[in-house]
Amino acid sequence: MRSIRLLLALLFVALPLASAAAAEKKAKTIDELAKMYDSSSCKGCHAEMYSQWEKSHHARPLMGVKGGLMLTPLATKGATAFSPDDPKKATIKNFPCFKCHLPQAVISAEDSVAVELTEALLTAADEKASDKAKADAKGKVAKLQITCIVCHNTKAIIHKRELGEPGSNVLYGKKDVAAHPDKTFTSVKKSAIMTDSVFCGQCHGLGPNLEFDQAFQCANLYGSYLHAYIPSGGTQSCQNCHMAKGDHLIAPNFNDDKQTSELLAKALTLDVQTLGYEWLRKAKDSYPKVVVNTKITSSAGHRIPDG
Amino acid sequence: MVVTAKTQDGKEIGKVEKHYHPQATNCRDTKMKYGAQWKVANLRDTSIQPAQPKIESIEFDLPKEVRTVDVTVQLVYEAVKPENSYPIHSITKTVTLDR
Repeated sequence: MRSIRLLLALLFVALPLASAAAAEKKAKTIDELAKMYDSSSCKGCHAEMYSQWEKSHHARPLMGVKGGLMLTPLATKGATAFSPDDPKKATIKNFPCFKCHLPQAVISAEDSVAVELTEALLTAADEKASDKAKADAKGKVAKLQITCIVCHNTKAIIHKRELGEPGSNVLYGKKDVAAHPDKTFTSVKKSAIMTDSVFCGQCHGLGPNLEFDQAFQCANLYGSYLHAYIPSGGTQSCQNCHMAKGDHLIAPNFNDDKQTSELLAKALTLDVQTLGYEWLRKAKDSYPKVVVNTKITSSAGHRIPDG
Repeated sequence: MVVTAKTQDGKEIGKVEKHYHPQATNCRDTKMKYGAQWKVANLRDTSIQPAQPKIESIEFDLPKEVRTVDVTVQLVYEAVKPENSYPIHSITKTVTLDR
């Protein structure tokens, strides 16, 4: 009996300590979360890739296209089923988009980050707010990025039962690197999936996200790859086309009109054939008619459009 | 894709638009939704599929006095909203009924 009491007493002491330890690992603010996943040290050795990434949508996953703030409806009371009634009570669950747009928030952020983000999104959209307040709020949202660490650590392993969780001091890439000159990530291991389409498919979606209590659908792209491109005999991976020669822009970059148009023109061909004649509706009653036959052919590995 | 037929002096006599994209509802009503937070599942998909040419045949009936038109086919990608568009191809052909 005495030993049971002792065990219970130890549990009471140990459980809060364990919780506290877990809580310490989570970010309480946007700045803390940004710092935890800050990849700026990668720039020193991987300048070109870093520069490409900085221009990519991965560097601005909450900003939408051309400076938009795609999460604003989720912060706005009544606008979506996910929106909190009170910004102060926002939680990570109010932002199911984090699954892909900010995966690190799901595992490394306290609900207070969701509160701060909600308030920033509302301020940025507030017509009464000063320009400085709006710009500051937008700047805060912009700090949340899909950084090098997210892809090269957090999302690098999908066979966790066999391979375990990503190592806290390991980056994952195309090959093993015994000594990696970084204070935190001291080695690089070969990822089983880094060059496979399934890596991208973790976020560039299969279809409806039915695992949430309120289902929603974002990208279908990987579903299209699996169920349309592969059955048609396609052999290329996402990386073959979108990361050729290790390009970390991972085009398209919809903020670059010219480049986006060129990329689309490369993927889609348009053939136009025309015919003019007089169509005979009935005897002695003909009408001039023009027929335009169009044919669009796609060399993409997925439907267009998708994301 | 926008297909227009114009007379030689620029008067538009026909315009057809084709929209190629997956179309989703929230599965609670029949209204199409934009935005991941509102969509639940596709109910129609007119998008351009891999290895499946998208073929259209569009007809313009001309006024009886018109014998020649300029036909323009514009393929444009729209992101988020129609104003945010990326031109892909634009092909113009003059079609005449005269020989």
